[in-house]
Amino acid sequence: MSGLDRFLRRDDSLRFLSREECAALVDRIRGFAQGGGKTEVAVTSWWSGEVRWARNRVSLASDRRDIRVDVSRTLPAMTGDGNVTTNQLDDVSLTAAVRQAERSARRRKHFRTDIVTSAPDFQYAKPAIWSDTSYGVTTEERGRIARALLDPAEAAGMLSAGYLEVRAQGTASTPAEKPLMYAQQTTAQCSMTVRDPEGRGSGWAGGSSYDWTRIDPEALARRALEKCLASRNPVTIEPGRYTVILEPQAAHDLVVWVVDALNGRQAAENQPGPLNAGYDTALRLGRSKLGLKVVDERLTISHDPMDPALGVIPFADDGWGPYPVQAVTWIDHGVLTALSYGRGYAVTQLTDNVPIAPRMAYRMSGGPTSVEEMIATTKRGLLVTRFSGVHPLSEGLFTGLTRDGLWLIENGKISKAVKNLRFTDSPWFLLNSLEQLGEPVPVFSPDAPAIVPPLKARDFSFTSAIDAI
Amino acid sequence: MPITRRDFLKTGAAVAATAAAPRPLLVYFGRKPEAAPPIEDSRLKDLAAKALEAARGAGAGYADVRLTHDWSTGGFGVAAAESLAVGVRALVNGYWGFASGPVWSSDEMARLGREAVHQARTNSLGNSRVVELAPAPAVKDGHWVMPVKIDPFEISPSEIQDFLLSLKIYTERFPGTSVQVLEAHFVKQEEALASTEGTYCTQRVYGSSGDFWFNLFKGDKGLGRALDGLTPTGLGFELFRDAPLREAIRRLIAEMEEDLTLPEKPVEVGRYDAVFNARCTAGLLAATLGPATELDRALGYEANAGGSSYITAPFDMLGSYRTGASSLTVTANRSEPGGCATVQWDDDGVVPDEFTLVQDGVLVDFQTTRESAGWLKGHYAAHGRPFRSHGCAAAASAINAPLQRTPNLVMAPGSEAAGFDDLVAGLTAGIAVKDMLVDVDFQHLSGAGRLYYEGARMGSTYEVKRGKRVARIVGAGILFRAPELWKSLLKVGGPASAQRHGFLDTKGEPAQNGCHSVTAPPAVFKQVTLIDPLRRA
Repeated sequence: MSGLDRFLRRDDSLRFLSREECAALVDRIRGFAQGGGKTEVAVTSWWSGEVRWARNRVSLASDRRDIRVDVSRTLPAMTGDGNVTTNQLDDVSLTAAVRQAERSARRRKHFRTDIVTSAPDFQYAKPAIWSDTSYGVTTEERGRIARALLDPAEAAGMLSAGYLEVRAQGTASTPAEKPLMYAQQTTAQCSMTVRDPEGRGSGWAGGSSYDWTRIDPEALARRALEKCLASRNPVTIEPGRYTVILEPQAAHDLVVWVVDALNGRQAAENQPGPLNAGYDTALRLGRSKLGLKVVDERLTISHDPMDPALGVIPFADDGWGPYPVQAVTWIDHGVLTALSYGRGYAVTQLTDNVPIAPRMAYRMSGGPTSVEEMIATTKRGLLVTRFSGVHPLSEGLFTGLTRDGLWLIENGKISKAVKNLRFTDSPWFLLNSLEQLGEPVPVFSPDAPAIVPPLKARDFSFTSAIDAI
Repeated sequence: MPITRRDFLKTGAAVAATAAAPRPLLVYFGRKPEAAPPIEDSRLKDLAAKALEAARGAGAGYADVRLTHDWSTGGFGVAAAESLAVGVRALVNGYWGFASGPVWSSDEMARLGREAVHQARTNSLGNSRVVELAPAPAVKDGHWVMPVKIDPFEISPSEIQDFLLSLKIYTERFPGTSVQVLEAHFVKQEEALASTEGTYCTQRVYGSSGDFWFNLFKGDKGLGRALDGLTPTGLGFELFRDAPLREAIRRLIAEMEEDLTLPEKPVEVGRYDAVFNARCTAGLLAATLGPATELDRALGYEANAGGSSYITAPFDMLGSYRTGASSLTVTANRSEPGGCATVQWDDDGVVPDEFTLVQDGVLVDFQTTRESAGWLKGHYAAHGRPFRSHGCAAAASAINAPLQRTPNLVMAPGSEAAGFDDLVAGLTAGIAVKDMLVDVDFQHLSGAGRLYYEGARMGSTYEVKRGKRVARIVGAGILFRAPELWKSLLKVGGPASAQRHGFLDTKGEPAQNGCHSVTAPPAVFKQVTLIDPLRRA
């Protein structure tokens, strides 16, 4: 029986491919290979249950599932590999995919350094990334929750728009001649924007976790509504340098770019940027800032896949077969202590077979100050809910917009809602201008979990006023 | 252009003749799998009907089903991905449900039909919601193939590779040039759509685009530029083969050589009259009025995702709101040959019409689907206009539920025959801009244009004095508010100066990718704010 049939006939208790099914599938695909060489396969299959709403009514509820099979063929004495993707699991489709990958491999002239022939027997972590509860959130439950979330907004005369999703995914990856790596993972997310019907105010709140029970949708709904009501009729203020209090979500929206820059030792050594320490003419090497202080010494940024709130799929693969995602401390008390690198770089540049996997999941250390205390100790500053449209301008400099709640703080108190602003600044400058840090909490980050504190920093640069609410 | 039986037979023959290009994915019409046939195969209609029967049987007031078969290539024209999908959408008491998966079989059609109704019915338990679908005549067995000259999936990938290689060799014959990126991307989608209102139609659409970047060095001075005209289109391989690319390369190199003779200048912050070339003008339209005139967006349906619109009270503003100068007229269509939103039927089964969004500067309509056109029924009736959808429903594939997506947009050119160079020649003092990335806020209101590329001094912004480009301004940006920008439109280039460019965008939760073309002439705007975007406050 083909995998497709089994995928079809299964009852609804399993909505994606199991480890055994992926293993059988990979064996089948390898059996179709002709001409020797290597066959690498990655299989992702997923189910997603969703409900979306707007103007206080559910606008769409959905149940979706799909498969993705990536076949990669490398032929002996050929320098290129051929890659083909399909979403069908029958023999005919898979044979055709393998043949196509082989044709493509013959055509490719890309160089591929096959130095990394055999991987050591890596040990893999078993992170907490699966929740039966998340997988068991039914259509009925999603509908009930959505209705419970938009009722308070409607009662207050406001308009709620939001999205709730529970998702399960099986991910399999196979190095050539090695056993299959497999992980099954759930993710859940809920976020909503409550707006004043005249467009005078907007508030947002969101949460995400592998485990639905760690999200409190009613609390999110209250928060979005409160923020909307408190943000109404904002006044215009001049752009300029402000002390900012960033709620954890706003801090994440900037710090995520710091974490992004930690992904790539080679890049930090070779390309101009905030983590490049310049070219060493004696050694004829580009150097990174490893070992140097890069941010405030109160800050440690790390990731442990075994952290119960920061689980990720425990293997990474950058084309040379899977390797483990291990615990790493990127920045230790302000000093850059690690940058990620893949297996190719590990073997060719460092004579070391154990890479550091890139990832976006992270924990940022905090401090003892609550947001209330930050406000109370601020003479003049801005309280930021979150940022939107953040993107790089040049070498560590970014721009973006405040969104869904921005308030002026004067003499230790929130004095008024203010209109949104565009910033032009660097998260690296931000993390070197810290005044206070609060308790780290999970933020909305559906693709990779993150635990981030609220923070207060001075001299954050807002460059123009915007009228969007 | 529904295809005739004769055309169909020809297509069938063509498929048989190119059996080397396999159709490997399987479909289950009965118990036994067989190769997925061309989308025109009549058995697919019966398969689609299974989903509709199941949905109707489960109590759907309206239901439709989409089957999609997608192909895409990697960067060198080699087919790299193929997938099948089916999605069923059902309406129960004003609530929508949707279910989708990767299997084309009778059982799966029935399961998805029931599941879509289950999704809808579960949510209809809450407060009442009314959906009035704008009327649309049922399409009886319509078949359409986007008229491309060369199907990129029917020719040998070697032909595409050789062509790209020849372009690289040609370019690098010019002293000082080196090609940085040269890629060609192709997609093909076959789709069948059936609805409980009796519509059944199939279509095959194509997409082609390229990335072509090269550097030019003269001594220690260098520039990098992208060849214009390879943004996404609804064309086949002719986008490359039939375009005068060698001439465009020669022109671009000549232009870069000229640029290298111009002095470089830092930004002097201030307000300047500015000439934007066709691509930049199209980019401004794609970032502002394009999304702002999506009716669902204006009503807050995207508030939790990409954002809403600066047209904050759409019903009150319709027919009276001044979006720009009286020289600004914007129409929309999904029918222009080569447009990347071009289709014969939208994902509601509606034949999209050509319609006007902005007439002489005034907002006169919105982008709509059958559902969102229903929200305008009163307005259309009061103004004696037909109650219909403009055919803007689209889903990236059948895995995704349809959303309202932006159609192809066309900004009307001016009556005088003036191109970019003529407009520059007519400028006493100001700036001229040939390349820009636009980034706008979540109401598409306040925006910033970056006139350079990250990490390089590669902008194409010029200081203009007495009609001549006298210096290249390095690292500049602009700031604008959309209504003021479009009201400051001074002059619009002539019909021959308009160009079409394709723009990719995302919308919805879960996010879906989309593509539409924007055709615009070069234009002159009064007193644009020039900034140094890298300067902190």
